[in-house]
Amino acid sequence: MKNLIVLVIILLSCIWLYSCDEAPKKDKYLRWVGDIEQNDKLDDPNFKVCNGENGEFQYFNLSNGPQYLGEKPKIERLFKEEFQLDTLEGQSGWLRVRFIVNCEGKAGRYRLLEADQNYKAFDFDEEISSSLFEITKSIESWPIQYKDENPIDYYYYLTFKLKDGQIQEILP
Amino acid sequence: MKNIITTLLLLLLTTLAATAQPNCLVYKNEGDMKKYEACEKCSELAGHYQFSKEFQEKLDEVLEIDSTFAWAYRAKSVAYLKSGDFIRWKELMDKAVQYDPENMLGYRGWCRFQFFRDYEGAIADLEELDKLVDYDIGYSVTGEYHLKIAMAICYRSIGEKEKAIKLIEEQIGNEKHFAGLYDYLHLGSLYLEVGEFERSIEALEKQINENDMAEVHYYLGMNYYRMSMVRSDYQRGLAEKEKALNEFIKAKELYTSGKRMRDGYSHPVDKVFLEEIELQIENLESL
Repeated sequence: MKNLIVLVIILLSCIWLYSCDEAPKKDKYLRWVGDIEQNDKLDDPNFKVCNGENGEFQYFNLSNGPQYLGEKPKIERLFKEEFQLDTLEGQSGWLRVRFIVNCEGKAGRYRLLEADQNYKAFDFDEEISSSLFEITKSIESWPIQYKDENPIDYYYYLTFKLKDGQIQEILP
Repeated sequence: MKNIITTLLLLLLTTLAATAQPNCLVYKNEGDMKKYEACEKCSELAGHYQFSKEFQEKLDEVLEIDSTFAWAYRAKSVAYLKSGDFIRWKELMDKAVQYDPENMLGYRGWCRFQFFRDYEGAIADLEELDKLVDYDIGYSVTGEYHLKIAMAICYRSIGEKEKAIKLIEEQIGNEKHFAGLYDYLHLGSLYLEVGEFERSIEALEKQINENDMAEVHYYLGMNYYRMSMVRSDYQRGLAEKEKALNEFIKAKELYTSGKRMRDGYSHPVDKVFLEEIELQIENLESL
């Protein structure tokens, strides 16, 4: 028994030492981190970017900060009115809906990312995630942003901080 | 004005220090040749955008040389942070903190607050840093906030307002403290929340001298308005309502001229929006 315990300890130590020194996880990269490619199974075929694939900016590239039509309180009101689910214990963390806004202020290629309070991947209750996803998609227009007087396509996202299935904050 | 210039200089220096490559000779002098080699490799990042495939791949090569090089994990994490990928960002920053807690805890704590409003997580990181070092824990990567002030805002957001006030007062009272862009605004807003109107006004007036903006006058207006509501002296109450209206009008003027709280990535705590200011003006004008 004593030998078995020693063996287990040695094995665990080896695993631990290996895990400490292991090479970091390698990502597969697109042009830019977070790029969203058109997926015909998911995306509206009528949604088009105006400046070609790979021409998108990030929302903060123009140093205007987060932009909302009617400013942020309008978005917060929308979710307060439309997101009407009961408290659901344990449904806490962050849910992000990321998308592209094109040169006409229309959005498309929505993608979902969900994590628990420890930033670990997590599947929120279907009702919560689909509701937040659909309300985000229902927003008809986003601000048109310009670079050198030309309207651009840009990535934007809404992140919902959730506690027991209720929205605590909408970011950014 | 002098304070704003100091703050802006501090902001510039903090940003440069935060984004600049580390001094590789430090590792060489310490005899850590693996880290030195990894660090030297980082010079190849020049000219690559932090979101780009090339930038990320180059950092993977750096980490292949030394998988304990915290700076590279942090550099990789930035694009994930800014694109809102909280999962990958946290994985990378956890590695950075694991290998260099002294230099990475402050940054991770600040980002948890700024990007994710993870108040408890930010407090945990900043307090751990404070216990770990015997020197000043320093400023946010943006240079706008001392990390003790950021910690105070986090405490306030989880309802610990008295603790938040104490932290800000202690920090501002420290003779080595450089006033941040919004220190007195947050203090004034906090005093308003706990109903200490006179102290709130005093703090907000100091903020006007440091860095005037729409929010200062909005909260001044809220102070005068709330003071007027508890006055038994009708004339005095009326005068305070008038003061409140003037502050809200001034807030609108500054807001529309662009003098308001800003952040390139998120909406700062205590930011007010035009419709909130206009609502107060409308309310008071209808009385």
